[in-house]
Amino acid sequence: MEITVSKFDLLKELTATQGVVERKTTIPILSHFLFEAADDKLSITATDLDLGLRTSCPAKVKKEGACTIPARKLYDYVKLLPDGDISIKALENHWVNIRSGRSNTKMVGMARSNFPALPVFPTAGVIKIPAAVLRTMIAKTIFAISSEESRYTLNGALMVLKPESITMVATDGHRLAHIEKAHEAFPDVSDMRTLVPKKAMAELNTLLNSTEADVVEFAKDESTLFFRIGGRVLTSRQLTGQFPNFEAVLPRDNNKFVTVRCEDISSAIQRVAQFADERSGAIKLKLDKGGITVSSSSAETGESEDQIEATYAADPVVIGFNSQYLLDFLKAATGGEVRFEFKDAQSAGQLRPEGNGDAEFKYRYIVMPMRI
Amino acid sequence: MCSPVQRTVFHLDMDAFFVSVEELFDPSLRGKAVVVGGRPNERGVCAAASYEARKFGVHSAMPLRTAYKLCPHAIFVDGHPERYREYSGKVFKILRNFTPQVEMASIDEAYLEMTGTERLHGPPLLAAHHLSRAIKSGTQLNCSIGIASSRLVAKVASDQAKPHGILWVMSGQESRFLAPLEVRKIPGIGRVMEENLHALGIRYVGDLARLQPEFLEEKFGQWGLAMAGKAQGLDAGGWFDEAIGSHEDPKSISHEHTYSEDTKDGQQLEATLARLSEMVGRRLREHQLHAQTVQLKLRYSDFSTITRAHTLPTRTQLDNDIFEQVRTLFRKNWDSHRTVRLLGVHVSSMDENEGQLGLLDDEKHRKWKDALTTADRLRDKFGENAVSLASGMRARYRERTHENPASLPGKSKKTED
Repeated sequence: MEITVSKFDLLKELTATQGVVERKTTIPILSHFLFEAADDKLSITATDLDLGLRTSCPAKVKKEGACTIPARKLYDYVKLLPDGDISIKALENHWVNIRSGRSNTKMVGMARSNFPALPVFPTAGVIKIPAAVLRTMIAKTIFAISSEESRYTLNGALMVLKPESITMVATDGHRLAHIEKAHEAFPDVSDMRTLVPKKAMAELNTLLNSTEADVVEFAKDESTLFFRIGGRVLTSRQLTGQFPNFEAVLPRDNNKFVTVRCEDISSAIQRVAQFADERSGAIKLKLDKGGITVSSSSAETGESEDQIEATYAADPVVIGFNSQYLLDFLKAATGGEVRFEFKDAQSAGQLRPEGNGDAEFKYRYIVMPMRI
Repeated sequence: MCSPVQRTVFHLDMDAFFVSVEELFDPSLRGKAVVVGGRPNERGVCAAASYEARKFGVHSAMPLRTAYKLCPHAIFVDGHPERYREYSGKVFKILRNFTPQVEMASIDEAYLEMTGTERLHGPPLLAAHHLSRAIKSGTQLNCSIGIASSRLVAKVASDQAKPHGILWVMSGQESRFLAPLEVRKIPGIGRVMEENLHALGIRYVGDLARLQPEFLEEKFGQWGLAMAGKAQGLDAGGWFDEAIGSHEDPKSISHEHTYSEDTKDGQQLEATLARLSEMVGRRLREHQLHAQTVQLKLRYSDFSTITRAHTLPTRTQLDNDIFEQVRTLFRKNWDSHRTVRLLGVHVSSMDENEGQLGLLDDEKHRKWKDALTTADRLRDKFGENAVSLASGMRARYRERTHENPASLPGKSKKTED
């Protein structure tokens, strides 16, 4: 293999793939990129077996072929090279020569045959999802995905595609983020449910934030999920198993409402949470006709209280919450007003953005109280 | 101004409790060398020994095999924890009728706060006499009572009064009483500390009392200071600081099991873990606590030991949650080629409050909780083996005779009737 690429093009793709390169070195080949040169194009592949990312950049191909290169080392080195062309040439014994201007380096790669084969993007059953929709949905649910390994079906978000809507749900067993977008067109699906692993969600998020593509092409087979964003293809091992029946836990009879400005409640909680028990982050919300009182106390740091004026007509109630759970939502809700809907100190509360904002999206967040 | 009220504390200790209870059920044991705890060829330790067996050097916590060597003619009987619990409960009820501030320190001993009860019970010796008689008539068992102005001296006094005696150490006489005793008699000074003190030429409490507290602090830190106080007869340091009947929540709860024959039978090992998880869960509920950290202890036949802990996303007091977690730790860490000698389940990071409530398994959770509360009541009544998780059935080994069982009256937070 012998090619020339521009530093700018190469670095852009190397940056995009960093998240997928295996950090641990238990399987050495996984800390390598696979480079394949053909048809005026350099294809770059990285995988940690859970995720795979395949991307490409234009290249002058002098001699077609393939090689593997230590990913982190190459990335760090290319960043330091001056702007301009870089020539890459495979040598004997898996060595790779990298030249740019007066810089000349030989790196030790591994045999190309060691590199695991990535599943191939299916030709049929491809669904087009607007990139902006997917980006919003990920940002508003990803934080609620569980990291607890013991319940692995919660280690991903559920994506539900219906002919006219797309829904994404994530929960860690204590809180649940649910977002739905109607008026979409997925003509070829009836009710397609897909568990997207947390790592894939995070990677998609990164890819969506660094692309100009309007559409994500999505497909799946028995074991793999495929997302094509511009020239990049992300593959992810599928999470198998039953996502919990979340419809059953959506509160239906919450009869205590209060509406506040997102910013106000968010900064009050942040202040008060400084004095919450460090491990649990527990705070109390008191609702009465004066509005909302946020309070906390801990044996180590003291106690704190913040009041927010609001209209509240129902019976007074005091409910404990993990402050972080509330803040996660308030951050994702991005401004405007939020409506809190409660029943009592033992039942799930519901939070959602009030009025406009992301009116096209139906976004809600269910959170269980704490007993403190 | 009136002078500060003189404090009066009773320490009541049942005489050879386990053996005496066994004698009630089998009078032929009376006056004989009896060892409670198991068969002489079993692994495990003596839970108790009769006074006749003690003459041969047998004492509690001694391996059964050693006891057999010392006293081969002793009668070895299995322990019956449910009987001891029953009798401990009877003792507690009598004590509670006597005075409200009672703290069971273990299954067979209790502290009674008797300060200011003279008008009701008369002078201390008379009160102790009545109490001793009440215990005897209510349970047919003998006890010994120490009376003093501190818990520490009262405890030492009851030991000196044994068997079936009453000893009053009058206020002001504490140091004189303690001085001739061996340092080992001070609660909290064990074998290791005794050796350390002997190395310094300190054999008697009097030797200890003559030393500067600063010297002891320098040698032994906080413990040294506490010992200096104890040598004077003060309730200094550790569990002696609290008021009688006040409860301090435990920082952790654990149960262990040593196999009489080492095993690498995975099913049996997991059954043991299920059983131990149940016992831990029961203790948690007894104390009305919820734990967040679960730890596995695993000792192989060669005595190499590992502990592995995991912090749960939420606190629990449910057997199945504890078991699920400890089993995961076990499956991840057990080298299945190696035989296991001991397993232990340990929980910590505890709080009275449940903390974060669950969104998805609320219903399931509540059902488990109800079921386990019912199971606890059955166990209180019929013994620890009355109910168990199916996975723990294979591990229904005999309940060990234990001085601090789960359902110790007067120790738990549950109000007693």
